[in-house]
Amino acid sequence: MKAVMIKVHEVWLETLMGAFMSNTHNKQTLFDFADILFRHFTWIENALIKSGEEYSYDRDNIPIKVESLSILLKDIDMRLSDIDLQLMSLEDKDLANRISSDISYIRNVLSKMHDEVISAFTMQRVMEGYSLSSEATDALTLFLFEESYKEYELIMIYNYLKAHSDDAFMNRIFQILIDESMFHLKCFGDMMAKMGILATPRVVMRELYQVTDVVKFLEDGIDEEIQAKEECKRLAEAVASDNEDLAKFFDFINNQENYHIALMRDALNHYKEVNDIE
Amino acid sequence: MTVDEQLVMHMMEPKNYGHMDSADAYGFGKNPQNGEKVVIYLRIGKDEEEPYIDDIKFQAIGCSTTVVAGSMLTEEAKGLNLGGAKNLVDATLRLLDKLPPEDAACSEMVALAILAAVETYERRMIEPDFPPITYKIKSDCTPKEEENESSND
Repeated sequence: MKAVMIKVHEVWLETLMGAFMSNTHNKQTLFDFADILFRHFTWIENALIKSGEEYSYDRDNIPIKVESLSILLKDIDMRLSDIDLQLMSLEDKDLANRISSDISYIRNVLSKMHDEVISAFTMQRVMEGYSLSSEATDALTLFLFEESYKEYELIMIYNYLKAHSDDAFMNRIFQILIDESMFHLKCFGDMMAKMGILATPRVVMRELYQVTDVVKFLEDGIDEEIQAKEECKRLAEAVASDNEDLAKFFDFINNQENYHIALMRDALNHYKEVNDIE
Repeated sequence: MTVDEQLVMHMMEPKNYGHMDSADAYGFGKNPQNGEKVVIYLRIGKDEEEPYIDDIKFQAIGCSTTVVAGSMLTEEAKGLNLGGAKNLVDATLRLLDKLPPEDAACSEMVALAILAAVETYERRMIEPDFPPITYKIKSDCTPKEEENESSND
């Protein structure tokens, strides 16, 4: 079952990357399928927790550099076919059937998707319709690499915390933070693809998500969100003279961090109260 | 940091990133200021006159600059014998003064992690259960303008 979870993790990311690459109506379908595959990942994780099996979020690197979407879709199809076969090893047959049914539909739709030429790896670092100075382009490039990984890291951390918590209050907050990070990752991934610098986020180290001290994690997380706000502010300023829309976008992301900080403070206070921590 | 094509390539596809299950040794480089760290895993080849780095991997809790430094330095370390790897670490540490503070801290962290892994391997040749060594960096990764801002506060 552990192997199935790793494979679902990989195919979720590959499908998400496919959505970033696409410039047609395939895009939304791939985003929807990526969301479904992420849910499969969480279901299998829950089954692993129930059965007491140890697991991690380790996975292989996922090669995504393709010149046409059909190559990636073929690889996704092969991975899904492989997962479908391995589902037979799951003890929970209802879960296996549910995932298998989704996979069957997804494979059918993927097989009918029209092909697209991919420009997500050209490294041109130019976004159509945006004119940025080389300084602003460099700042944006570094920001996108940094923050796309960070959002993926946060998704994995909050997902792990949620999977291991029975506290409804905390889980509500973790789910909101997962959703928010998913949105940010989608925004940044789309921009990276447009700039020709799309990359799969690197594997998250175990000690980051296998959190042993929730209070320290939340306190550090609040500090990090404050720093992220500063980064967004700096970036908004760096691109402001070149592009008003982009500056507004980073102001919007910056303001969203306020909500994340408030949620994390709520989670911290609640956790301390429930666990009688000063 | 000036962003050129080589840097973008290392950010898009970092070389040698990941966990190594059957490492002969591993070691850590750590930034005590902010908790960032790098772990280097080594598989040592023994089929030549001197032991050499047959395979090397790294993982990082850190920024993109650390990942780029890890990608570049591990590529250079691959295939070197242990003395050669130590020379690479020395050469990297000598260059730190010429780098901006944040880049220097990241490169130092990777270099020290390589040194820690090599020395852990050497110690394990004598004492097989020797624990992985951790070295802490001396560079301060605060960018100069931030330092000035905080000293003006």
